[in-house]
Amino acid sequence: MFDLAIIGAGPAGMSAALTAADHGLTVVVIDEQQRAGGQIFRQPPETFAGSVLHPTAGYGWATELIRRFEADPRLTTEFGWSAIGVLHDDAEPDGLCVAINHPEHGTRMIGARRLLIATGAYDLPVAFPGWTLPGVMTAGGVQTLVKAQKIAPVGDVVLAGAHPLLLLVADLLIRDGVPVREVAFAQSIPTPVDMLRALGAVPGHLRMLTETGAILARLVRKRVRVSSRTIVTAARGTEHVSRIELARVDRRWKVTGAPREVAASHLVLGYGFSASTELARQIGCELVFDSPRGGWVVAHDERLQTSVPGVFVAGEPTGVAGADQSRAEGTLAGLGIAASLGRAVPAAAFAEAERGIHASTRFSAVVQSIFEPVRGALGDLATRETTVCRCELVTRGELDDFLESSPFVSNVNAVKLSCRTGMGPCQGRYCENSVGAILASAREQTIGLGGRFSAHLPIKPVPVGDLRDLDAVTEQPASDGSDTGRSAS
Amino acid sequence: MTTDGSWRHTAPERGDAVTISVDGEPVRACTGETVAAAMLAAGAAFERDRSGAPRAPLCNMGTCFECAATVDGRLLTRTCLIPAREGMVIKTPGRL
Ligand SMILES: Cc1cc2nc3c(=O)[nH]c(=O)nc-3n(C[C@H](O)[C@H](O)[C@H](O)COP(=O)(O)OP(=O)(O)OC[C@H]3O[C@@H](n4cnc5c(N)ncnc54)[C@H](O)[C@@H]3O)c2cc1C
Ligand code: FES
Repeated sequence: MFDLAIIGAGPAGMSAALTAADHGLTVVVIDEQQRAGGQIFRQPPETFAGSVLHPTAGYGWATELIRRFEADPRLTTEFGWSAIGVLHDDAEPDGLCVAINHPEHGTRMIGARRLLIATGAYDLPVAFPGWTLPGVMTAGGVQTLVKAQKIAPVGDVVLAGAHPLLLLVADLLIRDGVPVREVAFAQSIPTPVDMLRALGAVPGHLRMLTETGAILARLVRKRVRVSSRTIVTAARGTEHVSRIELARVDRRWKVTGAPREVAASHLVLGYGFSASTELARQIGCELVFDSPRGGWVVAHDERLQTSVPGVFVAGEPTGVAGADQSRAEGTLAGLGIAASLGRAVPAAAFAEAERGIHASTRFSAVVQSIFEPVRGALGDLATRETTVCRCELVTRGELDDFLESSPFVSNVNAVKLSCRTGMGPCQGRYCENSVGAILASAREQTIGLGGRFSAHLPIKPVPVGDLRDLDAVTEQPASDGSDTGRSAS
Repeated sequence: MTTDGSWRHTAPERGDAVTISVDGEPVRACTGETVAAAMLAAGAAFERDRSGAPRAPLCNMGTCFECAATVDGRLLTRTCLIPAREGMVIKTPGRL
């Protein structure tokens, strides 16, 4: 049995792994990507000669963190494997079994005394007419294809949403010679002066700020239209996107006028992020609804232990707060886990880790307050015909009719049971936000009151045959902890 | 492929060339590249939904399952997560 299993090799998982190993723990890190880095630092494949990660301005530390993580012989890593659920080990009182699945190698069980959920976040989904058409993609999706797979879209591109990531992606596309037609923000864009005022109290983030200013200048030079108070109301086309409708909105993102049409072959959406909490849900961890911090986030104590003993959380699942904070939380979680297993951790180490978190929170709190999505208005973008649940093909109209005929339903899980929203392969990751917003507006209650979808093993569906292996013998690390070898898969 | 709506390669130095089969058609890819990226660059169609409407990758990070296909006989395999390998057989029969 390992001392610690970490799900996710982003900034949070990597820094936790190194910290835990420094305190003598045996550590296994599981990530369904092929390499370490997480979403923001997704690395190009090793086979792409000459392609290396270029971290965004302000994140120079990423290269060194990844290098240390990849070179560390103490760590066991399982890349290409998805964590599909966690079970309690009947034989060991404080033992957990992590079920992991690989598209070619099936399912295995890994035993660990502690678990760290460092599963990151994904782009906030927003349902509107045409959002299922090929050519509509999330900002994170396009960013990772451009940066890590080295491909670029052909044809005109429009970016729309409410998150500054859109500017980074627009800049990436322009550098690859892609014709970017427009970048549309739902809010009034804070001017560099607004940002400077808000960030004045936050030293160390000036590089990021000047980078944003430089990007805006480059977009203007390339004659890219950057519009504010503008939202995408529809994507049109038959087999692929060919036209996009953009409309003016008021301060609360309510559409105020007739839309205008823009011809484009790609629509890139970036409204912010949702925390990836399905593993925490499956294990039974308590969650709280915190809109500016990414919706449903995992509750924890001051050392990042969740409500389930032995299960810790770090990075975006505690609240979407950016890469600096993910890294800082990973360090604190590593210390907390070491202490919980009886390792001596000096109080000074905890104090320093907490200072790191404090410093990054000052920045992320400003970003969150400026860029919080107006969830109710986003829910209203779905018309009666709009597919809200992409997997089970449930429309807004079906939801509205059900809610009208069942006046006592006030919880999203009840909606899920009756309407099948959230029962398909994505397990509700892409409809929970819309269903929550639609329910909240129908019942005139807050989104948090409507609750959240529950999650069950497997949290990411696998062929039925792969679940037969769940009874498999739990794997142990090599006894001396030194030759824990990396899996080559 | 350079039709509007498709994707093109940017970095010239990619992995070794391999060929995968997508619904019986050969698609050129390279080692390290994901199957989804190879299919996008080749302009290949992804699996249609139950109503017959076209779909394509949305997230490119393993969360949405829009890129799922049958890969070497295995259903619901997320093509955005798996690297292409010589002789891989991809099928997009349409979702159940
Ligand atoms: C595309 C994208 C771009 C971003 N750009 C920025 C930016 O420019 N600046 C900024 O501050 N923030 C950005 N963010 C926010 C970003 O999430 C954080 O900055 C940072 O990457 C979070 O680090 P993390 O370690 O918490 O999670 P992540 O980096 O998201 O890492 C989580 C890892 O967990 C893995 N994982 C998740 N679930 C499972 C599972 N069930 N089984 C196996 N593996 C799993 C994922 O594959 C992933 O590698 C971006 C986010 C995304 C998605
Ligand atoms: S594109 Fe979303 S899972 Fe592959």
